[in-house]
Amino acid sequence: MSTVADLPGARPTALARVPRWLPGVVRFLRLWEGAAWWLAGRFLLAGPLDVIAHAWANAGLLTRAAAVTLENAAWGFVIGNLAAVALALMALALPRGAGVVAGLALVVFCLPLVATAPILRVLYGPGSGPQITIAALAVYYTTFIPLMVGLRAAPASWFDLIRLYGRGGPSALVQVRAMAALPYLVAGLQIAAPAAILGAMIGEFTGADRGLGVLVIRAMRGLDVTATWTLATISAAVAMAGYGALGALGRWLAPDRPEALLTPPPASATRLAERAAIGALTVLVVLLLWWAAMELADLNRFFAKRPDDVWRFLVTAPQAAAARATLAAAMVETLLWTIPGYVAGLVLGAALAAVLTLYPAAAGSVMPIAVALRSVPIVTTAPLIVLMLGRGATGTIAIVAVMTFFPALVACLQGLRQAPGQVLDVFAAYAARPVQRLLHAQLPAMLPAFFAAARMSVPAAVLAVTVAEWLATGRGMGHLMALSASTSNYNMLWSATATLAAVSALGYAGVALLERRALRRYAPEQLS
Amino acid sequence: MTLPDAEVAPEVVIEGVSKTFAGPVGPIEAVAPVSLRFAAGQTTALVGPSGCGKSTLLRLVAGLEPPSTGTISIGGQTPDAVRARAGLSMAFQDPSLLPWRSLRGNIALALKLARKRADPAAVDRLIALVGLAGFEGARPAELSGGMRQRAAIARCLVTEPRLLLLDEPFGAVDEMTRARLNRELPALWQARGATALLVTHSVREAVLLSDRVLVFSARPAEVVADIAVAFSHPRAPDLVRTNRFLDLCDQVSEALSRGETARRLVAE
Repeated sequence: MSTVADLPGARPTALARVPRWLPGVVRFLRLWEGAAWWLAGRFLLAGPLDVIAHAWANAGLLTRAAAVTLENAAWGFVIGNLAAVALALMALALPRGAGVVAGLALVVFCLPLVATAPILRVLYGPGSGPQITIAALAVYYTTFIPLMVGLRAAPASWFDLIRLYGRGGPSALVQVRAMAALPYLVAGLQIAAPAAILGAMIGEFTGADRGLGVLVIRAMRGLDVTATWTLATISAAVAMAGYGALGALGRWLAPDRPEALLTPPPASATRLAERAAIGALTVLVVLLLWWAAMELADLNRFFAKRPDDVWRFLVTAPQAAAARATLAAAMVETLLWTIPGYVAGLVLGAALAAVLTLYPAAAGSVMPIAVALRSVPIVTTAPLIVLMLGRGATGTIAIVAVMTFFPALVACLQGLRQAPGQVLDVFAAYAARPVQRLLHAQLPAMLPAFFAAARMSVPAAVLAVTVAEWLATGRGMGHLMALSASTSNYNMLWSATATLAAVSALGYAGVALLERRALRRYAPEQLS
Repeated sequence: MTLPDAEVAPEVVIEGVSKTFAGPVGPIEAVAPVSLRFAAGQTTALVGPSGCGKSTLLRLVAGLEPPSTGTISIGGQTPDAVRARAGLSMAFQDPSLLPWRSLRGNIALALKLARKRADPAAVDRLIALVGLAGFEGARPAELSGGMRQRAAIARCLVTEPRLLLLDEPFGAVDEMTRARLNRELPALWQARGATALLVTHSVREAVLLSDRVLVFSARPAEVVADIAVAFSHPRAPDLVRTNRFLDLCDQVSEALSRGETARRLVAE
């Protein structure tokens, strides 16, 4: 922490003004061009020069498509984040109901966007409604979680100060909570920016007329390698620009931003029985809201299935056993490819972070690239990986691994830096080797960040695998949902959506349980 | 019931008050049943071993914690009622400054919360008095630990409360500054005749600043000595070198040791 005495006063030199990320980007582009040239003919890879040429030749079309996608993403970003703020305030105002609000938010976040998109297309009809809704669904949870933490992040003595002068909740909200939560909100918004573009593009996959997502589908179907790479590059660049712009805004608004997603959301219940009761109540509320939404909007039962329709289809109908068998087979296929990719991504991310900590000079140039690549939406990498590695297990597992690798790497690098300075000084005083310091001080300090990344990566991994199955592999839940949507088998589509959301939420809850066990030992202060 | 005059320092009466917290392995008795009376306009120092419940007692008086048993009356009113009209102020062990507000903003916040008009000149005078002139616009992160604690003392005094609760307010302040603050700050609340309860670990500070020293045993705290300090205010700097002052310090130190020994014997 700096004091008045040691505030920086030195002027940066001309060399120091070169952005830190620039050398990394230049190296990355050279590596990419080299790989494209060397692997020509063996893998479907287009280099940066091909991409630039294609973008130049189709500048008008691409600019218009990017503008449409950006507009949809921006609306989704605004609506989703407003919903996140409203939900967080609701959880704050109703502390006893906070567990149910958080559970409800999680279930909605776990809805497979690949299935939600075609359902929304039927509900909304033509237009940009599905794209905006999917973008909103993709962003609200990554803002909601840090905001929930931020609204409770202030020390108890700040609230004592408010109470000391006879003021209550509203003063605490304005004077303490809002300001204390601002850095967390900003960190959430930054992660939400690329997620909004991802959501808008998934929405565009499902029968939209315009946008980058529409062009991606066309390029994939036409096996146009250069177009696919160009679109992936443009969407990645747009997502990174959004991430960077929000980051700059955040540095201006809240310079002391925390590593917001490193903290677990506050638990509203400690006893197992209480948590089980909250879980059951959440399921009940979800089913009630689902039914009420369909009934209040008076949507046709042919395509807008209610919970009892799904129950009949999977349990009581004559063909229920066959439907369950189809669903189970697809689920097993999906999980068989999701779990290895998920674990590989997490382990590789954590391992690389640990190695980079031993070589800090390398970490300095890898970190900006990793942060940038974390912001790349999966839809832009999925077609590329499928093009490069094929439509089998390797390609799909690689997509899931890529989806979990970068968040894990960035979180773990940040987590490794959380080791307290005084603890590291103790190791330095005994001239401990870097490996000893890593094992005994830095890895335990990394665990909260690792588990936070693992928790948030569960729905992301499910999204990645379903996108790959939908776009390319022709198997698993993604394919089943795409097939059900195209054949208007809405019973199967809704059943698959509900089942996958439930499995995803259970996976998230399972990781959260492991996280709490680990934190109880290594970071008990985060559980207060 | 008529409201007590806000300009009159209140008497604080504690009747059979105790506090028990739920701990991980059963209830923890932080304060054993205690009855105390703090005279209006007096400064009372509370000394005792760490964790004996002195700070909890202060929080109970402030109404920040409800007592498990007993009642607390401040000038005939409950702590909640006194807080509701901003009739008391407290300096916490932790300075608890809001990091997004400047030093001046943090001090002015107390006036805003107390619904009192902020007089910028008065705020700046107080900042100068605690030795922070020139840092009015600085954020807490730009101040040292001692500077932050002095800012918290200024925030506590700015509303001119008639009851002051000071929980180790000079703990992080360096020895030289502490000696100056010991001389200058008490004059501020004693001139207005405010009632003050001061928790401190310094025997010398307790005797120098107060009219009465209560010595507590280890948890659960019991009063092992109630020592009157009959020096007039304001106190001269050379008072600390007089035999009477040193004798009182001895009495307090001895009572502290007695409390420790008694507890140890009970425990054994």
